Amino acid sequence: MAPTPGLAGLASLALPDYKNVPHSYKLPVTHREVVRTFSKLSRLALISLVHQWLSKKSRDFCRPYLAADEDPDVDPDRQMYEPAHSYEELQEVYKELAARKGGRKEVVDRILEGDWRLGISMYQLATAEIQHLLEHPGALRWTAKRLAKVRNPKLPETDMEVTNESEHLPRFQAQTFMMNLAKELVPLMKSHFFITRIKTLPMTILRVYVHDSPYSTEASLAADTNGPDGAKAVFFIWPNGSPFVFVSLSTHLGQAVGDEGRHLRDVVLQSIPKAFSRPSARYQLQGTSFSARSLSALLTYRGPGKTNAAAGGWSIFADHSFNQNALDFVTAPRASQEASGSLENEMAVSSIRVGPGRPRRVVDNTETPETKRRRRVAEGRFGSSAKPNDGQGVEHFEVRIDDPFPAIPHGPGAQADVDTSEISNSGGKQTRKGRPSLLDRTAEDMEDIESERADVWVPDVRIAFSGSHVFAGVRQLVETGVVDGEKMPGWMTGESGVTQGAVRSGRMKTKGAVPGV
Amino acid sequence: MATTEALDNDIANLRARISHLQSHRANLASVLLSSPHIATRLQQRSVQSDPLRQKASGVVKRQSNRITENTYHACAGVTAYKVKDPDPNAIDHGNILGVRIEVAIGGKYIETYNVLLNRPHPEDTATFRICHHTIPPCIPLQPLANRFLPMTGNDATTMTEQNLEKFGKALRKELVSWHLRSAAVKSLRAEAGLSDKSSEEELEQEKEQYPVGRILNAFVSSDAEDSEEEEEARRKRQSGPMNITEIEPDHSVREIRVTWSNGHIGIVRVSKDGQVEKGVVRDAAGQRVSSLERKTVGRMEGLVHRLTGGSAL
Repeated sequence: MAPTPGLAGLASLALPDYKNVPHSYKLPVTHREVVRTFSKLSRLALISLVHQWLSKKSRDFCRPYLAADEDPDVDPDRQMYEPAHSYEELQEVYKELAARKGGRKEVVDRILEGDWRLGISMYQLATAEIQHLLEHPGALRWTAKRLAKVRNPKLPETDMEVTNESEHLPRFQAQTFMMNLAKELVPLMKSHFFITRIKTLPMTILRVYVHDSPYSTEASLAADTNGPDGAKAVFFIWPNGSPFVFVSLSTHLGQAVGDEGRHLRDVVLQSIPKAFSRPSARYQLQGTSFSARSLSALLTYRGPGKTNAAAGGWSIFADHSFNQNALDFVTAPRASQEASGSLENEMAVSSIRVGPGRPRRVVDNTETPETKRRRRVAEGRFGSSAKPNDGQGVEHFEVRIDDPFPAIPHGPGAQADVDTSEISNSGGKQTRKGRPSLLDRTAEDMEDIESERADVWVPDVRIAFSGSHVFAGVRQLVETGVVDGEKMPGWMTGESGVTQGAVRSGRMKTKGAVPGV
Repeated sequence: MATTEALDNDIANLRARISHLQSHRANLASVLLSSPHIATRLQQRSVQSDPLRQKASGVVKRQSNRITENTYHACAGVTAYKVKDPDPNAIDHGNILGVRIEVAIGGKYIETYNVLLNRPHPEDTATFRICHHTIPPCIPLQPLANRFLPMTGNDATTMTEQNLEKFGKALRKELVSWHLRSAAVKSLRAEAGLSDKSSEEELEQEKEQYPVGRILNAFVSSDAEDSEEEEEARRKRQSGPMNITEIEPDHSVREIRVTWSNGHIGIVRVSKDGQVEKGVVRDAAGQRVSSLERKTVGRMEGLVHRLTGGSAL
């Protein structure tokens, strides 16, 4: 009877288990995820990452290949990179690399073929991806969701109470949350979690690397290269002190997420509110009709600050251009204001000149009264928002018009009436292909439209604006006189703070009593 | 090289001087304009005839308006004003009632908040609804609105009464207490010797290097600490005096996290008026430290004093 060989045999067997992927598991340097992530990072970012890995806090998860690990059988002449003898030596090497100029390839090769030739740990991969995300804040497309409490009909309404102790936001305790999330996900898939606070932006990022396998061993992790469903990591962002969660839609720029990948992502998404919930306080995720690429736009419209419900022209209430300090008695224009005013003019002129295409006439510095008026109108409608370079651009803005088709003023009115009432209000829906859009009218919407006047024709008209910064574009159109700034409906200024919505009697329909919370 | 540097310095100095003088001029101008004699002197003759005089009287008018406004803002704390929504399709012809809330702490007006209300039912002129606001989401605006500004449903069977005045008061209380709590945490950090200028600069530098902050699920296994020097530091930490190394509030300052140099971690819960309700302290091994836990309860301003004062541990 020899139990030891049996146990040893068990250890080498891969058995389905209930563990998560730990930080220290390594992926081979040729793994697709590793190659993709490292090929995107800049030289400086890579060096900064290496310093982070070599710091004492993270050494456990980022073991480099040191001279002590060396296999004596390997011929040292055949190695491209001499292994370092200590962490300190390695830190010096990368300091030198940082000091001199060079390509990023040099650093990537040193990392992948030299100091971490045995593999990149999950921890390293996660830090690298987050570094890339912060360097390119527009790399992913995000949807903002809200964590809302599910009402228990049996319990008395406690929503009205605002007491000294009451709490209206879900409490985010990273460790407890991680524990609960792991419990939810482990039976379904193996995943690696990485959650971190960001110093430069007021938020916490969670990265979930989805490993679709019943095994949590290092070997199965490395072998996992199934199919074109490359997107394996999902990101979630919690802005500090707000009920919102940002979810990354597609994980890599321009890369379609296959059905399987989407399904796994949905599983993770569904377990987020469950992990938040406690007994007698259940949460669910609600859509907030807002998605954008830029993280700063998300933080402006769905962030922790003052700007959530003061978009568009109302932005003057959030910054201090409308409210002077109560002890500020100076009415004369300030030096800074004068300077910024003239600077703005210069910028406006130069931006017109720089535009592509045939060279335009140089605009005179003396504005005509008409252009000045238009600029002032735009200022009144947009306030301090929608500046081309404010980094808060929204790429896609789509509205559905729920107003009845305007009556035709000329011609035989009776005939027109007959024509329009024959057409179904939901017409055209059947011919649409692909996934149903969030803007499709629900039965509720239809009822709402028909309850008002059954005989009107309300065509399903949708208007989509796309561009690098939609509302800055609209502002420019107002300034150049293409759009009449005074007759333009309010939703075109972005003041409703959504990227998808329905317009009724010229106004964006809003859900809930108070916007932006 | 030295000359260009000297020139740059000169330019910077001149720039600073210019902006200083400009603000001085603006100050003097407003002092001059606020003098009561100016207005009376300007009104002695007809204003219309003289364009310069007309302009001057406009400037004086603006200054006196500002003075009146500021007096109200400073004395009342919560003030109301009217604005016009430029949207041509706006409800109620774009009439908007604004409520402005001032937050003053330590002799300074540090922040203003606005709530903008419209009247969704034109026939019912006393019912208001929040349409825009600049209240951060950590302030319970929705529950306050539910309580003080309830909306009548579509059926309008239940008549509800709104109380805008109480709403303003309650909202101001929430905002001021939030700012007071943040100020208290700031002074706690100063008391624990955490927020001196140099460390902030260091932090800035560090920020630029590593944007990734504290990793929240990186638990270093203690047996993996093989480096000798670290082991020594560890021993030193455990035997040496216990210092508070970090005091970190959450965004709404309802929870404060205290970290000690010997690996103790405490989280205390603060009520809105600044009372520490309860606290949990665990040592590096995860055991509760009830002697410290008992000390946390009390006013939040004295937290550091209570925790460090009786350091019998």
